[in-house]
Amino acid sequence: MHAETKQHDFEPKIVAFVCTWCTYAGADLAGTSRMQYPSNVRVLKFPCTGRIDPVFILRAFQKGADGVLVSGCHPGDCHYMAGNFHARRRFAAFRALLSFVGVDLNRLQFSWVSAAEGGKWVDVVTELTERVRTMGPMPEFKELEHEEQWSTFAGASADKVLNSPELKEAYDSIG
Amino acid sequence: MNAKASKTHVTCIEPAYYEAITEAIRKEAVQILKDETVVGVVGYLPGRRKGTASPALVTTAEEAGKLIFSPACVNNLSVYLTKAKKGVLKKGKVGIVAKGCDMRALAGLITESQLQREELFIIGVVCPGVYGFGAERTGTLTEANIARKCRECSVHLPDGADVAAGTHTELADLTPEEAEEMARIEAMPQAERWAFWKEHFSRCIRCMACRQVCPFCYCEQCLCDKNRPQAVESSPRPAGNMAWHLVRAMHLAGRCGGCAECERVCPMDIPLNLLNRRMAKELKELYDFEAGLNPVEKGPLNQYKEDDDQSFIK
Amino acid sequence: MPQIITEQNLRNLIDLLVKEAKLVVGPKLSGSVVLYEPLAAGSDLTLDALPRRSSKELFFPICEDILSYKRENGAMKVTDVDRSKFPETVLIGAPPCDAGSPAILDAVMSWDYNDEFYLERRRKSTIVGIACTKGDDACFCRAVGLAPDAEGGSDLFLTPLKDGSYACKAVTDKGQALVAAHQNLFADGAGTEPVPFVDQAVEKLDLVKIKKWLEEHFEDPLWEKIADICVGCGACAFICPACHCFDINDEGSTDDGVRRKHWDACGFAKFTNHASGHNPRDVQNKRYRNRIMHKFKYYDDKFGKTLCTGCGRCIRACPVGIDIAEILETINGKED
Repeated sequence: MHAETKQHDFEPKIVAFVCTWCTYAGADLAGTSRMQYPSNVRVLKFPCTGRIDPVFILRAFQKGADGVLVSGCHPGDCHYMAGNFHARRRFAAFRALLSFVGVDLNRLQFSWVSAAEGGKWVDVVTELTERVRTMGPMPEFKELEHEEQWSTFAGASADKVLNSPELKEAYDSIG
Repeated sequence: MNAKASKTHVTCIEPAYYEAITEAIRKEAVQILKDETVVGVVGYLPGRRKGTASPALVTTAEEAGKLIFSPACVNNLSVYLTKAKKGVLKKGKVGIVAKGCDMRALAGLITESQLQREELFIIGVVCPGVYGFGAERTGTLTEANIARKCRECSVHLPDGADVAAGTHTELADLTPEEAEEMARIEAMPQAERWAFWKEHFSRCIRCMACRQVCPFCYCEQCLCDKNRPQAVESSPRPAGNMAWHLVRAMHLAGRCGGCAECERVCPMDIPLNLLNRRMAKELKELYDFEAGLNPVEKGPLNQYKEDDDQSFIK
Repeated sequence: MPQIITEQNLRNLIDLLVKEAKLVVGPKLSGSVVLYEPLAAGSDLTLDALPRRSSKELFFPICEDILSYKRENGAMKVTDVDRSKFPETVLIGAPPCDAGSPAILDAVMSWDYNDEFYLERRRKSTIVGIACTKGDDACFCRAVGLAPDAEGGSDLFLTPLKDGSYACKAVTDKGQALVAAHQNLFADGAGTEPVPFVDQAVEKLDLVKIKKWLEEHFEDPLWEKIADICVGCGACAFICPACHCFDINDEGSTDDGVRRKHWDACGFAKFTNHASGHNPRDVQNKRYRNRIMHKFKYYDDKFGKTLCTGCGRCIRACPVGIDIAEILETINGKED
């Protein structure tokens, strides 16, 4: 099945937050239809895009994601009537905030993928994966995870210093 | 007392201006306590140090006679009316001294069903501005010691207050520092923006002063205090600090009235109001929403239109 | 014999200490605020303003790891922090209200339990205090028994002189050793006259009387009067040189993570919240009362010391203008 898979220097970690009614079913359809798409994506299922708190996206980046996808039902198709309408406004605002603090929005993708759109799911995931692959690992949040206030540096053991080989190794292994 | 008459531009606001407002506030506060219109008045009393003031919850006419208004009256008192401070004030109608920026918070709280207009007696202040943090407290307000937020204030008049104290006076020729700073950051390359905020947030000690003074941070259980499950690290490390400030800005988007209390109280001088302003700007551009002096039915993120912009969605 | 050091030599001393691989910490401009931070060179030292945070973080960091854990082959492996790797540290340029705080905190940190993280840092540090000639209307060190020229807590004490140099006094053996190791930077002599100190608005308080009043007035209308306006942030405690409460949190996953100790404050509503949901300090004024009680009664009961150095930071930083010096004056002036 994976005969066509090419070897790459960098395999990005992509986290996808999807709604259970549309995009999850769409991804399922892609799978049952034996469509190929990058295995870089890790899918997390939610009841609705309206349930996807911006803090989840932050958390994903903090814990090592290089790209994040949020996907749900097309406008008008929401299982809960208006969850995706609310999500749309929330994420529009959140994008502005992330951009303002210096996060590259190319790492964050939103999409509407219905239960019938297995092909679109493949396109969206492939495009995001390849785009993030060319961008390389996302350093910002991961580096921040290892930073300390100076007084902690001064106190903690020497291997806490950011540029120590141990931390470098730990950091590289995240990518 | 007639705020709407006309406005004057001056180079400095003399103590006499504030004294006149003080007199008007005292008169009104004493009156409404005497005739039992209200159970208490939230206002300002002078502090021990020269040129300082602090919030006060007064319940007698005698105390009300000591209330003041000066450029040191920086606090947004509406925080005392929220759930976060419940139990501090007796039940019943409450009087509150409010500047224009504080009025926006009151309007927001009414929008969010946290307050009812009938339960408030608003003593509005026609405010020419207040001191910036650490500025020289001379009693006179000038271009040199005015707070950053006041430089581009659009709510000098407390429209919608029960009474208004003061005549419309503004300092002339103030440059909009905050807007300039925001434009400067927006013009930076992405990596520089990240470096700018990283440096500021890393300094954060998580004293939560920004949350505690915010009229809109009235949640009884803050997401950021929870450690099971833990969405935001509660330890004051750069990672958790960044997450906390982003969560905070996001939770205030479309709600913040722009009083900039968060920025004023930050002991580490983090320019928090820039985040709030950036979100306000975005919501104005996208959904034509602006925090105003009048309560609305719903905030911009609690409603939607079918044809909202979705150019960023595939 | 009295000795002096010029300002340039003080900066040279810092350069030398940095070269000796010591961690040198002192007031430094960081963005728009002055903070105690590691100095890379003598030129980083700035003595114009009292740093926004106290120097306690040198011994009691904002946040530190106390252990890390990881599940390996089904067993949980716990790794302690190697405290022997804590660096040798010199704190330079701390005024008496900061330099004096470790001397107060040593008592609690080595009381029923030895806080080895704190004590190890204390053992490895030398404090170069400096007499304070700045001060503003929030300062009240004299009122709590200190003074702008109090040497307590310092190993080496500097007094600014009118010609810009500093008179030096080795207060402890550690201070003596620091001077001895860099003798060429110090010159013999008494120097010129010292720079005069600034007057303080709150000059003297009767701490015994205040403690007695506190003993008898756990319940008192004063608490509501002064602290109902408290909004419950931790600014006062976090920037205080003497507040030392902390919380411990496990961060990470159940299989891999770190146990961290970080500052906590009695002003937070969650501070005394029990797992049951019951909170003995259920309203804000009770939390504020604890701050006063701890500083001026409980700590004195246990250790015979006042847990306040009069630096005035909490007065300057309080979002709602609560003024601890004013409260102490009020209590001091009470008849009963």
